[in-house]
Amino acid sequence: MERVDIAIIGTGPGGLEAAITAINRNKKILLIGSRDFSDKVSKAHMIKNYLGLPDAAGDVLAKSFKNHIEGMGVEITEDKINAVYAMGKYFSLQGANETYEATTVILATGVVMAKPYPGENEFLGRGVSYCATCDAPLYKGKTVAVIAATKKEEAEADFLTEVCENVLYFPLYKETPSVCDKVTVINEKPLEIKGDMKARTLVTSEGEHNVDCIFVLRDAISPGQLVPGLATEGAHVKTDRQMTTNIPGCFVCGDLAGKPYQYIKAAGEGNVAALSAVDYIAELKKGEQQA
Amino acid sequence: MVKNVNTNEFDEVRNADIAVVDFYADWCGPCKMVGPVVEEISNEVTDVNFYKVNVDNNHDLATEFGIMSIPAIFVFKKGVKVAEQIGFAPKDALLAMINAAK
Repeated sequence: MERVDIAIIGTGPGGLEAAITAINRNKKILLIGSRDFSDKVSKAHMIKNYLGLPDAAGDVLAKSFKNHIEGMGVEITEDKINAVYAMGKYFSLQGANETYEATTVILATGVVMAKPYPGENEFLGRGVSYCATCDAPLYKGKTVAVIAATKKEEAEADFLTEVCENVLYFPLYKETPSVCDKVTVINEKPLEIKGDMKARTLVTSEGEHNVDCIFVLRDAISPGQLVPGLATEGAHVKTDRQMTTNIPGCFVCGDLAGKPYQYIKAAGEGNVAALSAVDYIAELKKGEQQA
Repeated sequence: MVKNVNTNEFDEVRNADIAVVDFYADWCGPCKMVGPVVEEISNEVTDVNFYKVNVDNNHDLATEFGIMSIPAIFVFKKGVKVAEQIGFAPKDALLAMINAAK
């Protein structure tokens, strides 16, 4: 796929406004998210302080957004980005469906509420993994646990049985999992990850399970995992008034940039992030011409 | 240049003043991304030796160094590990780690 100028991840007010501003500046963009936008918009009861749309319910706001972006010819690519790699002069975005390339990236994913399990950060890369397809071959013939936030992860568990000896599956959702025979479904609540040099035990509400690796598969990825090397502060990305991050060419907006969590603030930051990306691209081109 | 080494050749790494080793596998996506970044750094940092080890073909090395997740980029000083980066990292971060270890 052709490299775009600006890849925008997230379709809340921040991401949508960034897309509109970038299109206005004649940039080639890739807007990744959901065609239904963010749940946080459409499911909101009443938004009282969005300029020009007084007392709008979430679905009304969403409809206005839709009309606006469709009028501008903005298209949304439905995909889930698992990782963004800063390659130096460009970014490589690993989607569930495809790999994309962009000169700049704007993160507008919203904020991740899920808290890590005790021991999770400590043992990450040492018996805790977020990517079954990436690390499965390291656990050939071993016993692994899968903590699954959604039904989508059942395919990952099935895949793991092709490589691992035992796959213990801990669903965090209510539906009955439909996984292959080789997966052992355990309906216990994971509480903690313990180990020594590496993770060895998953502690649950009912007891302990000795495993060689724990795959923690959540729907949302925390920003530091999404963009390796990104400087964060709690659940937020470190930024400034230009919405820059510690990685040149990577910008942030909306809830992910910090509080207050307001629709109008997210939209405003989306505008700033896009303009900063436009400036960054202009500087980059100038540098190339001089070189 | 990044030199591909196996178990038999690993003494070269142990004897080097400073060695950077990229533990990787062919099936690993993030390894494919970080590989060119390490290659680029190796062309700029000339007073450090750069190596890569395919963990699938060198299980004993992977076991010796406790590789649980890849890519794993280790910095050795006379055979002693002084820094590590597990998973992908941007060029600046890798450069900072290597320079700090010098």
